[in-house]
Amino acid sequence: MKTITATSEDYLVAWLAALAVTIHVAEAALPSPLPGVKPGLANVITIAVLVRFGWRTAAWVALLRVLAGSLLIGTFLSPTFFLSASGAAASMLVLWPASRLPGRGFGPVGYSLLAAMAHMAGQFAVAYGAFIPHPAMLHLLPVLMTASVVFGVVNGIIVRTLLNSLRAPAAEHAPSPPAP
Amino acid sequence: MTRADWTLLILTLVLLPTLYVGLWGDRGAGESVEIWIPGQKPQVLSLDRNQTVEVQGSLGTSVIEIRDHKARFIASPCTGKVCIHAGWQQHAGELAACLPNKVAIEILGRDRRYDSINF
Repeated sequence: MKTITATSEDYLVAWLAALAVTIHVAEAALPSPLPGVKPGLANVITIAVLVRFGWRTAAWVALLRVLAGSLLIGTFLSPTFFLSASGAAASMLVLWPASRLPGRGFGPVGYSLLAAMAHMAGQFAVAYGAFIPHPAMLHLLPVLMTASVVFGVVNGIIVRTLLNSLRAPAAEHAPSPPAP
Repeated sequence: MTRADWTLLILTLVLLPTLYVGLWGDRGAGESVEIWIPGQKPQVLSLDRNQTVEVQGSLGTSVIEIRDHKARFIASPCTGKVCIHAGWQQHAGELAACLPNKVAIEILGRDRRYDSINF
């Protein structure tokens, strides 16, 4: 029988994903004014991971967050799950070329804004295409995109604050990131 | 915030209102006119171009004018000329018909002006 040994990268991804899942599940308890409008605070983890550890790790964390989160909340394989998964997939897809820009590229705020808009657009495409192909949905789109812009910037600022406070005092205790 | 961040943010804030204007703007406006002709598929013409169209109906030729995003019958071989007296059709859902000639025009757009009309 083959044995699988967990590498240090496995532990890293698992810890980060657990963090993201916790925030995701806690935020699911908050009411939202409109279906599909949430602060998306778990994305703070995704973007922070992207900046610190690279796209691959961030993609794993996002994937595990969507899967484990939906299992815990009880929406696994429901339409909500597919919307969440399509949003996460769209945002990770957009973040991949964004993270490889030459020069200084984006900071956490830029990544967060980009990811939030891609997430909302991807989710809307699936919602409009597969679940509710009604023209009234198009009426919602400007409001949804505005919310994604606002929360994208807010989350980006949170990521930046988080990363700055991580950099300063405990720098010598930070875990060594795996080679990207 | 890097330069890329600012560029993205400014681009977003500039493009976001266009989304509102595009999707929340005048939805009852006519975009195209659908012309029913006996024995053929309905022709759809855009209202953007001014033009005059002659269509063959059962009795003869009806002439339809498209101008300034409106459409109307200007000539028809019927006796009552109800189609011509219907005047300019402009908003989505508006319709004029020449029943003797079996020709009709309907304006198409995003939101119909009326859900249904009873005479």
